[in-house]
Amino acid sequence: MRHKKLLRAATLVVVTALAATPTAFAVPSFARQTGMACEACHTVYPELTHFGRVFKASGYLLVNLKQVRDVSGKKEELLELAQTPALSIMAQVSYSQLKTALPDLANTTLPGVAQNGTAGFPQQLGIFYAGKIAPHFGAWFQLTYSNASGSLSIDNSDLRFADTMALPDAKSLAYGVSLNNNPTVQDLWNSTPAFGFPYASSNATVSPLAAAQIDGRLGQNIAGLTAYALWNESLYAELGGYRSAKQGAANALTGAAGPLDGTASNVIEGIAPYWRVAYEHNWDRHSIEVGAYGADFKLLPGGNSTTPVPLRGPFNRFKDVAEDLQYQFVTDDHQFTVAGTHIHEAMSLDASFASLASANPSNTLTTTRAWATYYYRRHVGGTLGFFSTTGSVDTGLYGPTPAGGAGVISSANGSPDTRGWIAEVNYLPWLNVKLSAQYVSYTKFNGAGTNYDGVGRSASDNNALYLLLWFAY
Amino acid sequence: MGVIHTEHFLRLLLLLAGALCFAAASTASHADEPDAAIAAHAQLLAVTVCGTCHGTRGNSMHPKFPRLAGQSANYLAAQLKAFRGQTRGDPDAVGYMWGMAAVLDDATIDALASYYSKQKPEPSPRGNAALIARGREVYEHGVESEGVPACGACHGPDGHGVADFPRLASQHAQYLLKQLASFQSNMRNVAVMHGVAQNLRLHEMQAVAAYVEAAP
Repeated sequence: MRHKKLLRAATLVVVTALAATPTAFAVPSFARQTGMACEACHTVYPELTHFGRVFKASGYLLVNLKQVRDVSGKKEELLELAQTPALSIMAQVSYSQLKTALPDLANTTLPGVAQNGTAGFPQQLGIFYAGKIAPHFGAWFQLTYSNASGSLSIDNSDLRFADTMALPDAKSLAYGVSLNNNPTVQDLWNSTPAFGFPYASSNATVSPLAAAQIDGRLGQNIAGLTAYALWNESLYAELGGYRSAKQGAANALTGAAGPLDGTASNVIEGIAPYWRVAYEHNWDRHSIEVGAYGADFKLLPGGNSTTPVPLRGPFNRFKDVAEDLQYQFVTDDHQFTVAGTHIHEAMSLDASFASLASANPSNTLTTTRAWATYYYRRHVGGTLGFFSTTGSVDTGLYGPTPAGGAGVISSANGSPDTRGWIAEVNYLPWLNVKLSAQYVSYTKFNGAGTNYDGVGRSASDNNALYLLLWFAY
Repeated sequence: MGVIHTEHFLRLLLLLAGALCFAAASTASHADEPDAAIAAHAQLLAVTVCGTCHGTRGNSMHPKFPRLAGQSANYLAAQLKAFRGQTRGDPDAVGYMWGMAAVLDDATIDALASYYSKQKPEPSPRGNAALIARGREVYEHGVESEGVPACGACHGPDGHGVADFPRLASQHAQYLLKQLASFQSNMRNVAVMHGVAQNLRLHEMQAVAAYVEAAP
């Protein structure tokens, strides 16, 4: 009864005010496939438990459903299809309210502001195939409709060819290859960028100018093949490479999907290596992980359809090296997590410096994120998170507001420094339905606390309230 | 001639009967020892799937998941069949094991049960000494005033289990407590244990669980 009342109240808040978010991941099709409740793999979605991490490393292959099979005379498995397809639907409905409204660019002569308070219905609607495809082939494949684009497009996806073997001393070895479209989307821990906190955030607020490439800059526009092994459910190593896989790009000459030409931007030169090592220790109700990961992206700036720039000559190089840490304490009543990552990016901007797009030939950028989450009986909980980005001053990369411009997405002093807090409370009436209220507070934005854009906007003006109804079926 | 034929026929019948008995006996002995291929498959499952929660040799670390090492094979097989048939209804059985056991066949269940029954139980950490001492009282003598019988009467004086009554020694106290609560509420519907647990008080359950966990 109490749950129902709370749900009604919360639903009222969300529906009347409205709410929603970005990249998403909660897949009941795994529960259908394994016959196991969400809590086996998640503390609260999308955060994984130890069992969830092993399930992922094993290729999403654990199946406890009757199968449609075919075998050859030599006992080769030719087909193994679950009788229920591993499909899921996920939706995010949201409402976002900035502390201070944004300027309305439609009216540059008369001062005006855009309407504050954005309803996203839906912010996202996702369709997943998440589960086994063949005996050693599993998939997490996601198509997402977003209100920002008004169209359906590919979202974070991860195809795995995997197997798990028992070693002589009763230790396990899970190994395989992942074919994915966003570095760290294949990772097992929630401390890395793709599945890190905030798990959902507004797409109707203002984002800072700077982020490391491995921190989601290239997602869905690259394709990577990585090989990995998880030994004894504790030691993890992964190595692979990424290449551009542009969505919505076409060869200017043929109109076909490729080869990529000068109308495409930020194209990976050759193959960008990606690496990851991690160690996890589990004892009693505790689990701790320490790890490191990184990548080396050489990006050709390219151009666009109106001003193509040949894909040759100097490139910009981004060497990303990151450390991460995750601690979990999980019981039936209490779920507590502390996690974070520290990403260091060294940029050699030969191309951008030559074209005056950057003021310096080389820069650094450092991002730190840390958060603590607590849930009571997986029903009620919250997260408090801290984020900070600091880096070289570069008036080319982080440019000032042009004369007469509206500001907001600019930096008066050329600094990318941004810092702030995120507080979030969540209520889950059922394990696949989440109601969230999140507040993002900036103490520094694009280089300063006050008048960061040179036309009077303060970092705190970008503070935002975000209400979200997030469910998956 | 007729007599000889009858004699031959009888001898043949006896031989056939003998052969059938031998075949039946060999089948029976094989039923206890799983087929090698099935045993290997069960071991792979135990290490790569079950082991994630229960430990690859059945000595789980997380107290939510019961220790299976050294457990009675009959008991383990009966539980897996109860999960498969969805007749064991305590919360973790529903959330985890109904799914995990859903498509296990009898031969694999027997092989898994056999695998865990042969693993060596590792000692659990000892808890509070006073609690353990009180638990020992309950375990060995029951609680007469509340009509609770001695646990050891069925589970053995050392807690190692007797016949189909399961081993309790070195089991996680938290797991035992949850099971006693499930017996009390009949979520795990076992008439004998409901009868035993319904009059147990929480502090008595905590004590006996601590004693049993500490038992080697």
